[in-house]
Amino acid sequence: MSSVIVCHACDLAHRLDEIAPVARVRCVRCRAELYRTSAATLDTAIALAASALVLFVLANAYPLVALKVNGATRVATLTGAALGLYNQGYATMAVLVMFTAILVPLAQILAFLYALVPLRFGKRAPAQRTLFRLLAALRPWAMAEVFILASLVAMVKLAAEAEVTPRIALGAYGLLMFTLTALGSITPTEQLWQWIERRHA
Amino acid sequence: MSTPVTGLSLGLVVCGRCRATLRAAAGHARCPRCGARLHARKPHSIATTAALLITAALLYIPANLLPVMHTHTFFSDEDDTIMSGVISLAQQGSWPIAILVFFASIVVPLLKLLALGEIVIAVSRKSLRNAQQRSRLLRIVEFVGRWSMLDVFAVSILVALVQIQSLAIVDVRPGALAFAAVVVLTMLAAQSFDERLLWDANTRD
Repeated sequence: MSSVIVCHACDLAHRLDEIAPVARVRCVRCRAELYRTSAATLDTAIALAASALVLFVLANAYPLVALKVNGATRVATLTGAALGLYNQGYATMAVLVMFTAILVPLAQILAFLYALVPLRFGKRAPAQRTLFRLLAALRPWAMAEVFILASLVAMVKLAAEAEVTPRIALGAYGLLMFTLTALGSITPTEQLWQWIERRHA
Repeated sequence: MSTPVTGLSLGLVVCGRCRATLRAAAGHARCPRCGARLHARKPHSIATTAALLITAALLYIPANLLPVMHTHTFFSDEDDTIMSGVISLAQQGSWPIAILVFFASIVVPLLKLLALGEIVIAVSRKSLRNAQQRSRLLRIVEFVGRWSMLDVFAVSILVALVQIQSLAIVDVRPGALAFAAVVVLTMLAAQSFDERLLWDANTRD
């Protein structure tokens, strides 16, 4: 069966005669990714999402970095980073940090679990369509990897004047970053929809 | 070269969210697969992108001139701008980090403003030859854009950490807000631009 796929980036129409089950097809004109599916199974995606949830809890429950000066230790947590801005009257920035570093990753994890676990058992979660659409919209706003790098920058800035040490949550958040990246790369949008369509065919 | 066959010419439309190819004649207002609103082209793409971009360009000035952070210690009171933050990292000898911050906070925002500005002007003049290069540029801009949040996050962590009365106090300054706005606005500008416009002009040639 041949089907027509139109490139979302340059609108060029392609006729695909047969697509391998696991494939990555690029637009011949603008090189945008037309179509991608992964070899990963639903189980792998669920396992990664579950690990991400555990890491997310750890990353929020413990301090990220500690600062030691004159015997006194001060720690910063993930939410503390957002609250600090809020306390200084920069609520907009606090919301931005909260959203990109905490809420979006959490929303992604929960949306994946909520939609994929029922799918694993052949059921359809209510509002699944809306959630998958939301997942696609949120992707550019998840900034775990930027936050990790920023923690390192902050530590280097302070290292000249005080003793700074990374704490458990920084490691957990670092692993969370890798887990979410892996989850994102094995669940291209096309793959998510194929899982749904196959279960409900 | 023969005229490229486009979705528009075949009466096909691509869903902006789930990228399903659909028949426009079926008259769907929403994508039957994911429920997103369907548009052959993003509505008012150039105007939206241009408006966001101009706002970002204006805010780029205070973002760089105003201090983003104030450090108060026993010995000194210091205002740091984005650039002076980079310089002090370099003076401290942390060259890799200084270069990283320089790219994320200074090069990337400027590149975004210039690249998107050039693309919007080119498309609105409909004088297009280099669609290939411009589309590559646009994708680079979309890919690196988020990294400019680096400084915003770094300031937030410093503020949370350094609040011991006896040691030092780090305060946020308005420059940081302007800078964060530049990052968000340029991200939205890149997202609201419809890449197909680059190629539409080409198809008409």
